[in-house]
Amino acid sequence: MSLEDLVLYAVDYARELGASYAEARYHKNTSFSIVSRNGTIMGAGQELKEGIGIRVLVDGALGFSATNQLDNENVREAVEKAYRLAKAHARLMKKPIEFDDSRVGRARYSVVEKKPFTSMSLDEKINVHRELWDIVSRAPSEAKVPVFFLNYIESIEEKIVANSDGAFIVSRIPRLTVFYNLVVMSPQQGSIQRFEQLGASGGLENLEEWSLYETLDNDVKVYEKILYEAKEPPKQEVDVIVGSEVVGLVVHESCGHPSEADRILGREAAQAGMSFIKPGMLGERIGNENATVIDDPTIPGSYGFYLYDDEGVPARPRYLYRNGIIYEHLHNRWTAKIYGTHSNAASRAMDYASEPIIRMANTYFKPGDYSFEELLEDVKLGVYIKSYMEWNIDDTRWSQRYVGLEAYLVENGELKGFVRNPVLEVTTKAFYSKVDAVGKELRFYAGTCGKGEPAQGVPVWFGGPDLRLRKIRLGVAPK
Amino acid sequence: MREELLDASKKLVEKALSEGYDEAAALLQQRRTVMVKLANSEPSVIQRWRDLVLNLYLVKNRKILVISLSPKTLSEVEKTIKELIDVADKLYESPFYAPLPEPGEPVKLDLVDKKLLDKIEDPSEIVERMIETAHREKIDYVAGMVKLSYNEKALATSKDASFYEDSTSIQAYLRAFAGEDGSGQWSIGSRRLNLEKIEEMASIAARYAVDSRNRVSIEPGVYDIILSPMVAGNLLRLVGMMASAFMAFMGMSMFMNKKPGDKVGSEKLTLIDDAVNPELPGSTGFDDEGVATYSKPIIEKGVFKTMLHNSKTAAKMGVKSTGNAGWISPRPWNLVVEEGSYSLDELVGEVKKGILVTNNWYTRLQNYVEGVFSTITRDALFLIEDGRIVKPIEKIRIADTLPRLLSNIDALGRERYDIWWWEVEIPTRTPYILVRQIHTSKHTV
Repeated sequence: MSLEDLVLYAVDYARELGASYAEARYHKNTSFSIVSRNGTIMGAGQELKEGIGIRVLVDGALGFSATNQLDNENVREAVEKAYRLAKAHARLMKKPIEFDDSRVGRARYSVVEKKPFTSMSLDEKINVHRELWDIVSRAPSEAKVPVFFLNYIESIEEKIVANSDGAFIVSRIPRLTVFYNLVVMSPQQGSIQRFEQLGASGGLENLEEWSLYETLDNDVKVYEKILYEAKEPPKQEVDVIVGSEVVGLVVHESCGHPSEADRILGREAAQAGMSFIKPGMLGERIGNENATVIDDPTIPGSYGFYLYDDEGVPARPRYLYRNGIIYEHLHNRWTAKIYGTHSNAASRAMDYASEPIIRMANTYFKPGDYSFEELLEDVKLGVYIKSYMEWNIDDTRWSQRYVGLEAYLVENGELKGFVRNPVLEVTTKAFYSKVDAVGKELRFYAGTCGKGEPAQGVPVWFGGPDLRLRKIRLGVAPK
Repeated sequence: MREELLDASKKLVEKALSEGYDEAAALLQQRRTVMVKLANSEPSVIQRWRDLVLNLYLVKNRKILVISLSPKTLSEVEKTIKELIDVADKLYESPFYAPLPEPGEPVKLDLVDKKLLDKIEDPSEIVERMIETAHREKIDYVAGMVKLSYNEKALATSKDASFYEDSTSIQAYLRAFAGEDGSGQWSIGSRRLNLEKIEEMASIAARYAVDSRNRVSIEPGVYDIILSPMVAGNLLRLVGMMASAFMAFMGMSMFMNKKPGDKVGSEKLTLIDDAVNPELPGSTGFDDEGVATYSKPIIEKGVFKTMLHNSKTAAKMGVKSTGNAGWISPRPWNLVVEEGSYSLDELVGEVKKGILVTNNWYTRLQNYVEGVFSTITRDALFLIEDGRIVKPIEKIRIADTLPRLLSNIDALGRERYDIWWWEVEIPTRTPYILVRQIHTSKHTV
C-alpha cells in the first residue's frame, strides 16, 4: 500500500469504527547536521523521523495515536488504540469536543530550493565552519574567543494530511538552520555570550543571504568593545529604541502567544499557561494606533512557511493586534467552533508523533515610515537595544523582561558608546501603548517555538522594524 | 521484545563493521506510552505512542557520525549505514574522539512496575482520581497531565557490550485554579505507580491554589527566598546540565572555568546524580556506551566534586567516564538533593523578610559562563515576615546569578519530593530550600 493509501486507509478505518472525525498525517522529518567547536568538526549527524499520527473524535473525546511502523497492521492497531482510548475517556468529558466546518483543501505544494543542499560539497560545508572560526578567533584585539560552537542543519519536512472532511494535502518544505554559541572573554572583564539561530525555508541560497562572514567579524569586534567599554544604563526614565530583533521576540511572546485561542481557553494551562486575553476580549484596546501585529504563514522563504495547516485549512495572514486593538486570535477547528468562527489555519504538528496544536508561523510588527536616523533624532537621552540574550514572560503573557546584549546610549540623537545589560521589563499593554514611532525596515529572525505536551518545537520567524518607546525606566542585569 | 531488540542491535553493529566502520554502537528503544492531558477538569486529548527509535554511533578513522532513525525496516537502516560511509570518509577527525570503552557489568535494577504496566491500556481511573482529589478543595478547575510509559532499550557496541533494560515510569502534574487569582501546581515522577502519592500531588496543587487567592503586590528587592521543590528542581536542573563536561567545552556552563575541588556553593548543598535509584524515573544500569552507572555527588558540601563524563570528554580531560554517556554529551540521570533537618514551618521561621516561591518557569540565562539568569514565578507565592507567612503575593522575578544562589543556600527541609514535569525535565528529588539575599525584579511600567 502506498503512503497516500495508508493515510486514507487510517481515516476510513477510524470512521468505520465509529469516530465522528478522523485525521491521519504521514510526516517525515529528515535532517543532516555538521557540528563544530572552534572550527574543528566534532561530528556529523543524521536524523530521520517518519511515521503516521492519527487523531479521532469519539463521543466528544479526542484521541491521538502515532506509530512509525508503516504497515497496515500497525496503522490499524494505532487507529484502534486512538479510538479505544478516546472512548474510554469520553465519560470524563463535561463538554464534548467538536470541530468547526472550515473549508479544507486538496492540494500538493513544495518549496523549491534555489540552491539545493547538494550544490555544495561536504568539503565546502566543512570549510564554512573553519573559515568562520578563523574570522571569529581573529576578530578581537585583546579578548579571546574560548568557544565558538556552530551547528549547521539541513532539513526536509514532508507530509501527507488527510481527514474525514475531505482534506488531502501533500507538502514538502526544506529548511536551512544555523545555530551558534559564542563566548568572548577577558580575564579582567569577564565574559559576554551570544547565542543565535538563523533559519529559513529553501536551500543554500540562505547562506549567502545571511552573510555570516561579515556579520560575525563585526559582531565579535562589537562584543569585545562591550566587554571593555559598556557602562550601566541610565537610572532615570529614558526613551528606548527597541531594535527589530527585540521587537520580533516581543511580538512573539506578548502578542502571538496570548492570541492562541487554545491557550485562552485553558488547554495549555498546566504547561505554558493561559493568556491575559480572556474570551470576549476581542475588540478591546491593548496599545496605541501604531501597534499592528500580523502572523502570516504564507511569506515565501520564511522559516514558518506553509500553505495549508495540519487540519487541511488554507493559510492566510492573521491580524492579531490591529491599530492597538485585539483583533483576531489564532484558531484551529476546535477553538473556531467555540468562538463561532472559522479556523485560520494555525494547527501544526512538529512530527508524526505530535498532535497538531495552535502555533504561530511568522509573526511581525507592521512597519511604519521612520528611518533609523529619524527614530533617534529627537531623543535627548535614550538607549538603543539592538540584541538580547536573556528574556522571559509570565504565564499569562503580561509581564515580560528582555536583557539587552548589544546596546547603545543615545544622547541628542546620536549613538554614544555601549550600555551593559540593560533590562527592559514592561507589561504588554505598556509596551504596545508606548510605541510612538515605527521604523520602516522590516527584518525577520528565526526561532524554534516550544509548546504542548509533549513539548513540540516548530520553526517560526518573528520580526518587525525598530521601534521607539517613550519614557521607560530600565534596569540592569545582576553581576 | 528482549531477544528481538538485542539481536537487532547486535546485527546493526556487525553490519556497520562489515561496511568498513572501525567502531559502532546501536541503541534501540521501543516505547509504549499513554498520556492524558487535562484542561478545565476534563481530558483535552488522550495520546498514545508505540514506536521504535534507533540511535547509531559510527566511527571511521576517528571521525564520528551519530544517527537517529525511526526506521520502517531494518534493511532501511542498513542502507543508511552504507550510504554514510562516504560522508564519514570526508569528515575530519573529531577532537573529541576516544575509542568506545570496554563494557562494564550493568547494575541490575528492578525498574518495572507491573501495576503501572497494566494501566497503560486505560489510565482513565488515575485521571479521574487526580481530578477528584483536587476538587476536594474549593477550587474551580484543574489542568495537568499524566503519562505512563513502558520502555525497552537494547545496546550493542563493537566492544561486545550487549545489554537490555526495561522500565516503567509515571509522570503526573496538576495545576489548580481557585477564584480570581489563586493557583497552585505540583508534580510527581516515579518508576512505580503509587496512587496515594498521586493524590498527595493533587492535594498540594489544590491547597496552594486556595491559599493563594487575593494576592497583593510587593516591591522587588533583595529577599530571602524559600524555593519549593518545584522551583529547586527547575534551577538545579541547570546546574546538573552544566555539570556535563560537554556543556563546559561548549561554553554553556558555569563550570567552564572550574575544576573538581573548587568551592561552588554553600556547604549545606550536596547535589547527587543518582543514576541507580530504582524509584526515580531517570535511573538506568548502563549508559549509552555500555559503562555501568553509579551514584555520585556533583556538588558535595558546596564543593564541585564530579564533572559528568562519557568516555570522550573523560579522555580529553584525562579522567574516567562517570557513566553518563550520551555519545556526544554526558548528562545527569536523576538529581537528588541531600535533605536538611527543617520542616517547612521551621524554614519559614528562619526568615525575617522573604518569599516562599512554589513554582516558576521560563528560566533564561544572559550568560551561561557567569550563570546570570532570571526566572518568572507562577502560582502560589507568599510573603514571609518575621518567621510567618503573612499573605499571598503577585508574581515577581528571581533575577540573580546561579553561583550566588548556590552560595547563599542556608537551610534545607527534611522532607523531599520527587519532581518531574514540563519545567523540570531531569527527575529531581529535593526538599524546600532556603536561600538568603536573592535579587528579585518586576516590570517597571
